[in-house]
Amino acid sequence: MKIKTDDGARPLLERLGDSMALGGSTTFLEVVQSLGLLTVIVICSIVLSFASPVFLTIINIENLLFTATIVAVVAVGQAFVILVAGIDLSVGAVLALSSVLAVGLSLHGGLPVPVAIAAALLTGGGIGLVNGLCATVLRIPPLIATLAMMSIARGAAFLYSGGRNIAPVPKVFIEVQAARIFGIPVVILFTLALALVAHFVLTRTSFGRSIYATGGNPVAARLAGIRTDRVTVIAFVISGLTAAIGGLMITARLEAGAATAAFGMELTVISAVVIGGVSLFGGEGKIVGVLLGVLLLGLVQNAVNLLNVPPNYDLVVSGVVIAAAAALDVARRKYVEAGLLRRTIIDKGESADGK
Amino acid sequence: MAQSMATVSDEFTPQPDQHSPAILASVSGVSKSFPGVVALDDVDFEVFSGEVNALVGENGAGKSTLIKLMAGIYSPDQGSIVVDDKELEASPSFAHRAGIATIHQDHNLVPGMSVAENIVLGRWPTRLGIISKSALLERSREALALVAPELSLDTLARRLSPAEGQLVEVARALAEKSRILIMDEPTTSLSGPEIDRLFGVIANLKRQGMGVVFVSHWLEEVFRIADRITVLRDGRLVGSAPAADLDQATVIKMMVGRNVRETVVPERSIGEPVLEVRGLSRSNALNSVSFNVRAGEIVTLAGLVGAGRTELANCIFGYSGYDSGEILINGKHLPKRDINAAIRMGLALIPEDRRGQGLVGQLSVAENVTLALFDQIAPKGVISFPKENRIVEDARKALSIRMPSSKSQVSTLSGGNQQKAIVARWLSRKPRLLILDEPTKGIDVGAKAEIGDIIVGLAENGVAILLISSELPEVVSFSDRVLVMRSGQIVGELDRSEKSPEGIMHYATTG
Repeated sequence: MKIKTDDGARPLLERLGDSMALGGSTTFLEVVQSLGLLTVIVICSIVLSFASPVFLTIINIENLLFTATIVAVVAVGQAFVILVAGIDLSVGAVLALSSVLAVGLSLHGGLPVPVAIAAALLTGGGIGLVNGLCATVLRIPPLIATLAMMSIARGAAFLYSGGRNIAPVPKVFIEVQAARIFGIPVVILFTLALALVAHFVLTRTSFGRSIYATGGNPVAARLAGIRTDRVTVIAFVISGLTAAIGGLMITARLEAGAATAAFGMELTVISAVVIGGVSLFGGEGKIVGVLLGVLLLGLVQNAVNLLNVPPNYDLVVSGVVIAAAAALDVARRKYVEAGLLRRTIIDKGESADGK
Repeated sequence: MAQSMATVSDEFTPQPDQHSPAILASVSGVSKSFPGVVALDDVDFEVFSGEVNALVGENGAGKSTLIKLMAGIYSPDQGSIVVDDKELEASPSFAHRAGIATIHQDHNLVPGMSVAENIVLGRWPTRLGIISKSALLERSREALALVAPELSLDTLARRLSPAEGQLVEVARALAEKSRILIMDEPTTSLSGPEIDRLFGVIANLKRQGMGVVFVSHWLEEVFRIADRITVLRDGRLVGSAPAADLDQATVIKMMVGRNVRETVVPERSIGEPVLEVRGLSRSNALNSVSFNVRAGEIVTLAGLVGAGRTELANCIFGYSGYDSGEILINGKHLPKRDINAAIRMGLALIPEDRRGQGLVGQLSVAENVTLALFDQIAPKGVISFPKENRIVEDARKALSIRMPSSKSQVSTLSGGNQQKAIVARWLSRKPRLLILDEPTKGIDVGAKAEIGDIIVGLAENGVAILLISSELPEVVSFSDRVLVMRSGQIVGELDRSEKSPEGIMHYATTG
């Protein structure tokens, strides 16, 4: 029995109830809770390794991870917004705007490269700030506010670039893209580091707690003195910033500032976050899950390429996998919730009996 | 007194000079429990044709549960509900087909549909699957003519006043050919003339043989409209009798009389005023409310749901704004609508709706306890888990919170222990003024006593307590002073010597 109780006066039956409620079921539930997605990924990988001889090669896996990094970075930011029960549809457009600004400002604007990059990041953060203020001060539903922003930012990217790719990119983009530490691409390491920081912030800081509380129950959070509006705005700023970082990454990959970059990426990102177990209602979810969600989507894309699925089918296949993963996740949650409910009833049943 | 009252079944005799009322529905031996609370315990209740049976009782007496059972929303744990010799199944659509229409407190009209569409909602007359507009209008016109002929059938429901909306719901019940109409607090948002109108309609329905169940807090209204009055208390039937045989004082006694657990409130010194409220007004909620609470004093706001007590608490704590007036804490001005300032100045609020406003269900017990304590566990923003554990462990001991582990999801605890977790959150801040809004609602008897002891203990330590409670025996036994609110105003003040459940009920329900 894990509980330390100094209430020896409690009837034996009640204490027994506690230990039953706690016993093996908890740990098993927790196992199921954390599995799910990982199981799907492992199964997909096993199937793929038989289906394609190329899958398990280092080149392919590195390529898979490389592709996943951009989605991962943007998804980490998106997770903050979804955790506060918001949504950010503008990330794809912000990514493109950041891309054309970073290259354009240094190439045509005459700014030093670091300043151009900083300006791109500031723009992303600033757009996030505007999104956040629309959602809190103006009370525009985030879906609408960021939908409008998506259009504005994409339009701005086209206006600034005249619709043409801006190239060549400053040397630093090429260098970072190629850089490796201990043989591992820096871009992958950076993505992992960012996810680690996000994980730390969410689990170990008062701000992270405030994020969960704001998304879980905004009224309760407000009544506990948490400035929920401020927390929401910061979540949107983080999303804007990570989208801008994603813009720099895609610039390095494409070796150009492209206004057409990441078209529709917001949906991939949101899918990854939600598949990763972050509740669209807010207040629930982990960064680890988000990374797994990104990985699964990356895996599907990779499979489509490796198995030579005709190009017109790959969208359909992706969609089916997303739906299947979501359905599996719902089933898993139901199972876990039923377990929790059973425990609740045991717990409450004893007090209702007045024993 | 309760014993002398006969229940419906053995007392009822048809009166020869009237139509002979038939039993439309009979509820017998019904019990219903929710986690941590027995809402109804072996209750009998009958609805006769052509009669208004008024269901009265304090908040939490079981009125809502009973009507929800009759509306097919809940299923009884024990007992049966028989309509037309058929047992009622726990399904709202079954109840509708059985002829039971319920008008709930919040309106059930579809705002974007017309009056006509709402009246025939869900039973649109169709021909080959296509809604026949003319039949729809015809049918709804017939029903509306009986209750509110002046309303246009084309008006969208969202444009209706609450009173008109209610009449449309009555019309819907008529269109459904319902024989039992249940009305839950139908008059709360109506003006005097509108109430007269509604009562006229009810009288009309009675003449057509409909049985009406009328739930209300307002005894004056009850005596105006009811043929029979049924009193519930703590989920049990106290009695049911023809209204003509009762008077208000008797009904009040039946509503509140019970064994009062005397909480011994020790004599203690009462200090300087901590909270001073001066002329607080908020449109449609509060009307020039002034009072104070001193250090170590327990002041209770009594009154019925909707009297403005929660609004008052929210204004003081800064969750809601107000139009005029001033609030002082220890003589210092408390800024309007600023929860963080209120917390800094030593205020704490334990809200009425534990799940909706108190707790974040997805978080653990520990995380919920420390939700207002970031300055203690994370002065620089990074949480110290040892500090958090110490605070939670201290609270668990001090309040004897029973939980499997501090990491358990808070929503898995029983009501009483959830409430203690919220109390713990604020105790660690050592508040000067603690506002508790219905702290014992929906928790079992044992936990109620514990919460009571905690409140008294805090007052002994000099904390000013503002308690909102609808549980009169508690109100009476704990408090140093009772302020009775009605319609956003303080209508009565009773000190230690004067307070009694009957006195409070008198202020709250009449006058």
